[in-house]
Amino acid sequence: MATKAISFHSYKGGTGKTSIAANLAAIYARLGHRVCLLDYDFRAPSLSVLFKPNPKFWLNDYLNGRCEVEEALVDVGKGLGLEGAIFAGFADPSTRAIRDMMTKDRAWEMGALHRTLSAKRAIQRSLGADYLIFDTSPGIHYSSVNALASSDAIALVMKGDDFDMEGTKEMVRGIYDVLGRKAGIIMNKIPMGFVEGGGIVKGVEEELNIPVLGVIPCYCELMAIGGRSIYALDRPDHPFSKALEDLSKRIAGM
Amino acid sequence: MEAKGAASALGDEDAVIGLLKKINENLEELNRKLDAMIKMQESSKPIAKAITSGEMPLDVDTLLSLPDHLRKTALAICALGEATATQVAAETSRARAAESDYLNQLVSLGLLKKKRKGRDVYFYIER
Repeated sequence: MATKAISFHSYKGGTGKTSIAANLAAIYARLGHRVCLLDYDFRAPSLSVLFKPNPKFWLNDYLNGRCEVEEALVDVGKGLGLEGAIFAGFADPSTRAIRDMMTKDRAWEMGALHRTLSAKRAIQRSLGADYLIFDTSPGIHYSSVNALASSDAIALVMKGDDFDMEGTKEMVRGIYDVLGRKAGIIMNKIPMGFVEGGGIVKGVEEELNIPVLGVIPCYCELMAIGGRSIYALDRPDHPFSKALEDLSKRIAGM
Repeated sequence: MEAKGAASALGDEDAVIGLLKKINENLEELNRKLDAMIKMQESSKPIAKAITSGEMPLDVDTLLSLPDHLRKTALAICALGEATATQVAAETSRARAAESDYLNQLVSLGLLKKKRKGRDVYFYIER
């Protein structure tokens, strides 16, 4: 199976991209797949909060040409009782690294696009990964658009209270449509009362002309843990984990 | 003699009018062509910018401003690094002849370079 690359993206921040991406990676790995999860949010790295890695190289090093992508990956699935595997690449969360990434020029970004596209090939060749998951920076930034351009499909994560439809619509038309990528919407943190009936889904689908892949209700206990647990593994019977299992099948079929 | 001279003058006048008409037609044709060129330049400003500056890097911003057919080719080169038209065609699942044309258009726009290695022509991005 060729590596399927999926970007988790949003117009605004705080929609739950990292949590959804990490949980889906765990679900695919539990099913026996080999998954590569890359933190491409270089402005606000957050995957390291979940896995607390001690990598030899960061993804920043890979993009700066200091190592091969395989050297920046950590086997984070070890000891989790998974049938498959999760290899994760992390964005350097230090202030120095974030500032460094903010000062890159267009010539550097051109090289970063080439290295991102090459990473997908290397991950397929040397890891035999079934899935490559990019957790991207919200909005239109070089790193996120580089990931979108390197992906086969885009999952647009929206939450219940930030329906900036005009901005999102502009982003879908100007980036997703131009790149010609398959896209689907994940509606996350939706208040329970709005989930039933399907009216909210129809409205968003009509506005953006993209199908809704799934609606995840808002669970207060998830907010309390603040992205420090992989719920799909720690509490597989929780409705959040069940909703993500359904989502994993729809995303696999994109 | 006088009548002959008048006839000759009239003939000259017809010839001059004919000439002026021809010049006018040519000028109108030239104007039409100039209008079409201006229209073309207006509709492809980002590309024209790349041509004139010759310094536009092939990053995602440039990729997004390219027409669809060239974007697919440019993205393939970004992934492959350096490739022949045949290799790009294998990547994009399009005809080699079409890819060769698109690659040469990208070279004309100043976004790619090309070099010969033996019998093959390789296209690449100058970093």
